[in-house]
Amino acid sequence: MTRREALLLTKNGFGGLALMSLMGSLGCSQVKPGNIIKKLGPQLNLPHFAPKARSIIFLYMDGGVSQVDSFDYKPRLEKENGQNPYDKFKVEATQFNNIGTILKSPWGFNQYGECGMWVSDLFPNIATCVDDIALVRSMVSDFPEHTNANYFLHTGHGLQGRPSMGAWINYGLGSDNQDLPGYVVLDGGLIPPGGLDNFKSGFLPANYQASILKPGKTPIPNVSPGEPSKDIQKSKLDLIRQMDSSFVGKIGHEDEVEAAINNYELAYRMQTSVPELTELLGESKLTKKLYGIDSSNPHLAGYATQCLMARRLVERGVRFIELTCPRVEADRWDQHTGLVDGHERNAHAVDQPVAALLKDLKSRGLLETTLVVFAGEFGRTPFAQGKDGRDHNPSAFSIWLAGAGIKGGTIYGMTDEYGYRVVDKSTSIHDLHATMLHLLGVDHEHLTFRFSGRDIRLTDVHGHVIKDILV
Amino acid sequence: MFRITPYTQRHAPAPPGSRLAITFFILYLAYACGPRPTELDLPDTISFNFDIRPILSNNCYVCHGPDSSTRQADFRLDLRHSATRRLDDGSKAISPGNWKKSVLISRVTSSDLEFMMPPPEMKRHLSEREIALLKRWIDEGAKWEPYWAFIPPVKPQVPEVRENQYVSNDIDNFIISKLADHQLIPAKVIDKPGLARRLAFTLTGLPPEPEMVSSFVNNNSPGAYEAQVDHYLESQHFGEQWARHWMDLVRYADTRGHEFDYTIIGAWRYRDYLIRAFNNDVPYDQLVKEHLAGDLLETPRLNVTEGFNESVIGTAFFCLSEGKHSPVDLRIDQAERIDNIIDVTSKTFQALTVACAKCHDHKFDPIPTTDYYSLYGIVESTRFTLTQAGFDNDDQLVFDSLKKDHNDIRKYIVKNVSDYTRVDLPLRELMQFQGPHRIIGDFRDGSLNGWIPDGNAFTNSLGQPIIKGNQLIGLHSGKASSKVMGKGLFGVLRSPGFVITEDSMLFRAAGKNSIVRVIIDNFQLIQDPIYGQLQTHIKSDDLQDYRIDLSMWKGHHAYIELLVGDYRRRKDKGFHEYDLDPQAWLEVEYVIAYDNSFTESIPDMKGLNTNKLLSELMLAWEEEKATPKEITRLNLWFSNNKPFISGLNQWQKKQERRALALYDSSFVVGVTDGDHIQSPVFLRGSLSNLSQVKAPHRFLTAVSDTTQVFQDRGSGRLELAKKISDPKNPLTGRVLVNRLWHHVFGRGIVETVDNFGVQGKIPSHPQLLDYLALKFINEGWSVKKIIRYMVLSQTFQRITEPSQTSLANDPDNLLLQHYPVRRINAESLRDAVLATSGRLDKSMYGPPIPMHLTEFLKGRGRPKHSGPIDGAGRRSVYQALNRNFLPPMMLAFDMPVPFSTFGRRNVSNVPSQSLTMLNSPFIAEQASIWASQLLKEPYSFEERINMIYMQAFSRQPLDHEVEQARGFFDEQKNLLENEVAINRMEFELWKSYCHSIYNSKEFIFLI
Repeated sequence: MTRREALLLTKNGFGGLALMSLMGSLGCSQVKPGNIIKKLGPQLNLPHFAPKARSIIFLYMDGGVSQVDSFDYKPRLEKENGQNPYDKFKVEATQFNNIGTILKSPWGFNQYGECGMWVSDLFPNIATCVDDIALVRSMVSDFPEHTNANYFLHTGHGLQGRPSMGAWINYGLGSDNQDLPGYVVLDGGLIPPGGLDNFKSGFLPANYQASILKPGKTPIPNVSPGEPSKDIQKSKLDLIRQMDSSFVGKIGHEDEVEAAINNYELAYRMQTSVPELTELLGESKLTKKLYGIDSSNPHLAGYATQCLMARRLVERGVRFIELTCPRVEADRWDQHTGLVDGHERNAHAVDQPVAALLKDLKSRGLLETTLVVFAGEFGRTPFAQGKDGRDHNPSAFSIWLAGAGIKGGTIYGMTDEYGYRVVDKSTSIHDLHATMLHLLGVDHEHLTFRFSGRDIRLTDVHGHVIKDILV
Repeated sequence: MFRITPYTQRHAPAPPGSRLAITFFILYLAYACGPRPTELDLPDTISFNFDIRPILSNNCYVCHGPDSSTRQADFRLDLRHSATRRLDDGSKAISPGNWKKSVLISRVTSSDLEFMMPPPEMKRHLSEREIALLKRWIDEGAKWEPYWAFIPPVKPQVPEVRENQYVSNDIDNFIISKLADHQLIPAKVIDKPGLARRLAFTLTGLPPEPEMVSSFVNNNSPGAYEAQVDHYLESQHFGEQWARHWMDLVRYADTRGHEFDYTIIGAWRYRDYLIRAFNNDVPYDQLVKEHLAGDLLETPRLNVTEGFNESVIGTAFFCLSEGKHSPVDLRIDQAERIDNIIDVTSKTFQALTVACAKCHDHKFDPIPTTDYYSLYGIVESTRFTLTQAGFDNDDQLVFDSLKKDHNDIRKYIVKNVSDYTRVDLPLRELMQFQGPHRIIGDFRDGSLNGWIPDGNAFTNSLGQPIIKGNQLIGLHSGKASSKVMGKGLFGVLRSPGFVITEDSMLFRAAGKNSIVRVIIDNFQLIQDPIYGQLQTHIKSDDLQDYRIDLSMWKGHHAYIELLVGDYRRRKDKGFHEYDLDPQAWLEVEYVIAYDNSFTESIPDMKGLNTNKLLSELMLAWEEEKATPKEITRLNLWFSNNKPFISGLNQWQKKQERRALALYDSSFVVGVTDGDHIQSPVFLRGSLSNLSQVKAPHRFLTAVSDTTQVFQDRGSGRLELAKKISDPKNPLTGRVLVNRLWHHVFGRGIVETVDNFGVQGKIPSHPQLLDYLALKFINEGWSVKKIIRYMVLSQTFQRITEPSQTSLANDPDNLLLQHYPVRRINAESLRDAVLATSGRLDKSMYGPPIPMHLTEFLKGRGRPKHSGPIDGAGRRSVYQALNRNFLPPMMLAFDMPVPFSTFGRRNVSNVPSQSLTMLNSPFIAEQASIWASQLLKEPYSFEERINMIYMQAFSRQPLDHEVEQARGFFDEQKNLLENEVAINRMEFELWKSYCHSIYNSKEFIFLI
């Protein structure tokens, strides 16, 4: 039985179920969106096995962090600084093709933790967490250009229109919280190239797409009801529900209308859950300070708030949370020029909050069930673009994972002596996705949706779980 | 097995009479089980375009396609001669007629890692069906076809359909025959109220007025529906709806975004132009020409009632991009601007993603980079300008007579100056420039020196009489002058383009509230800190020297612009507003560029005597033939003799009055032609890596029947416009009817309405697409006629409920067995809220209503004042679209962010939609207004419910719905008892009810 057939069996389809849920939510509901899907699609017998992670926090590093300036230490660049890269290795065309000389990292590197991981001075705080981190130095992407690379990182496909990883996960597992959307993007200020399509649900039903929360006192406009009492609004919603129920009956099954009905249910509950979430009630001064919310740098303070909010979302059972980067006084991590200034500003804004997030999650026992991923869409060249920039490099970059099911202190994969190309354990975006799903208890080959005559999955026809970084 | 998807549908011509299919269908009904075709479900006839190319494109073209930079083994599969040639080892990839001899097949079926294709690292495998298709196609001769979208449409045979009851016009034949192929029968026709609602929303974006619905329901004559259709086609709201659709294509906004969100001057006049054009059904080919070359048309289209030039407003299309404030690199900024124009132009008119060919040949479509840079050169040869939008026919007549009177006054003066002395005053030489210099413009000789005027003001002042009272006190020397005919006249004078090679520029100018600008790389948004000095404000009655340091921009393309009026920061309006003072004028004597040492020489006063009679000189002057030297000489004479001539004063005053009457401060952005610039190819898109050879101006080589280079020595935009609006262009007609179809039926025949290229979707009904495109072109490119034809089809009139078979065989309804349910788009939803509450102000046109600012809308460039929360009750199309402060309700409901062409909007489903409808002050306010309207007259409860249903849903309520309302009122009454005063109770109850109605899905979705 397909999902669609299952829908037809219930008199009003999905909307009917959603309406039941809506009624319930105003009284006492046990129906969760995840459960609905589970009932409808026997092929989605999820989870496939015991999950390690309950939630994922995806720290998206917009623009492409330079691996040789952060986590992939290359002493040879220092020795050969200023020399012609064409004399050293085969240089691929880059996006801007303004290829300069070999450029050593402007930052010093030190070894940290018991594992002795090399980390540059860009990330003094994250460096203190290395024993919880599995570093993958052998990432590759298929695309040298932001928009395609972003779609690839977010949807497993380089062109617009596929469901985002967060949407897949919600489709598969639903949310453990009925009062908040299961897939939340905390908008730090920068929407990545490729736009909101990075967070959409593609051909999956529309309610799996991300809800975007902006920073600030009221993260979502119109979240406060105008009625003098809750009951008055509830009575209106009852009427709306009745009318919608007849409407769905009249037009026959229609995904979009049903999704819109669902949406009211969620909106209703968000009226209380969102302010409660974002006002950071109950957070101690110490916690806020740990994250850096008191910082005089507004970008650091802003990202700190987002990180703390991410932890609160995890506590509330939200399945997938992505943080976008703050808009610092330089470009995103995309330093075609001015590497030192741009990377320093970006790093400074995220370093303390990210480290605090890891420590805070750990101290609350949440890191055991939360996977934290720190990744950009590609890396940067070891040679300069012009004088003081680095161009895009999809042939090698570093990401790291921490938390649920991750073997801390692992260093996985290797690049050549310049950090230009991967030489060992090449790891694709599909592998990353497969690993993320694996930790959620999902076999990436069996989370599928029939579209265009094909059973499509997040990892397309690719992907291997990166077993070596798992506990 | 019968699932229809855009990739696997069959495009075989319908079997003769489709009887076979109908028979199958009956069998199908009888046994509730369709006929089983061969296991792989191959079509009867294999089409290269629709069956084979998608396989090759998706799997092979990255390495064996049009892009030479990634091509492997020098082998192409996009060209037949390459694919079928004998390879080095003697084999053939494709051996037409025999798949067994075709290495392509052995490779795609091989599991040998060395041999298999696509190579293992691509992790792509052809499906069994794809392999079977390839085999049969090779066996049938491996016929290649040019890409379908580049083959001109051919009039298809209209499929015969037996069941006439399903047919209103030929559209239905195409739809039904295809339905029959898939064992589907069309859904029944919707009830009249539903149809009235669907029609009104589709054509006007507004709900039907309840009276219209009633009259339609009560009209049983056969022409009743047609009358409804014609009513809405003639409605003024038709233009508003279709202009808004068009605005999605051209990334319309009122401001430029980036840091300070500068105003795009008069963008809204372009919006009004669109509304008028759609309402007047301006032929589409004309609209295309006006967008691309409205400033160059030999006979511009004049506004029907007011006589102003409509055509030129179309060119605002070029100016709607984002605009950067103080870009670091002007060339990159220019490249980005041009890229956006190429992107939007190629997508809007041709549904091709030409911008993909910026850095490399298009990976999938036959669009080489040289095509991109041909278009680049065309845009680079185009300059941005302001156009005086309100200057109409009458104004032109006044201006012409003003000009004539200026000529006539010379006769009058000559007649009255009766002194015939022989004059032998010395001739004064014109001043000479010493030292190395280059003349950019020298107007002392009486000409405009090859500079190009726009607007009416600029002419050379040489010899113009200087009158004081009734006395002639002298003659003007030669200058480019805006005030010969009067002050406050609009005009721009632009130099030919040049490359900056000198450190400095010097010019001599006088004027009032006007500017001289150096436009570098077509960069217009001149602003401090980096660029402020490129703009000189002229505020002096006497000629003065101005020097500008250009050393920073050596090597850049530039031109000089003399502009009457001024760009400046205005307190009430923000940055970069253009302002024409009624007293503004500008005169420039010369502009030169020079390095370091440079001096002006004192003119040599040594006389060259002349033997001419004063009368001879006067005659030459009267006939406007006097040389600058002679004018100087006459002038000297006048300075000593200053003749009194009665009537001069009166004449002068009259001229000033008439010039003042021409003052008009309505402006709109647009373009004008510059020099002919051909662009080199930027190798891999890099500005620092340019090809030696330049790309000549011409149209896309894949689309144009000839690859001929444009003849025009300017931008070539008119030729470009003609290529696109050519009835023989294979794309233009198809692309437009497909866009219209998308809006009428919810999905284009080609679903990817902005991409007809190889990576777009292939048409669900190719023959219908061609049929409509040809009908559209042959019937004069009339948008209204073709929309009329679409909505008159029965396919438009079907219910939304799918049959079981349709759900099973065609779950996405690509075959249109039933009509799709659609969410009403953002603008229409807001308009419908206003229409039902009674707040809708139907007035048309005019400056945008400033947006309502909330605490969420912050940042630089924020407008000083917030607009009304209800947008003054005006339709959404008239609301301001400030790029950095786009209206949240519109965004929540998927209005696209205006940066590129969006022919197809997303339909998302996010809580902000529900929250807007539930909690936004705007919706609450409209519910109040609606309630007050209902309470104005002493209607009964049932009457009011009835009115609400008619207004909101265009139908009568059912009995149980009236009861439902009653129950709601009782419940609310109890709840509100403690909250509101008793005299407000009635109002609050109706408000609550109306508020709920706004939130019902029947209000938000169109069926």
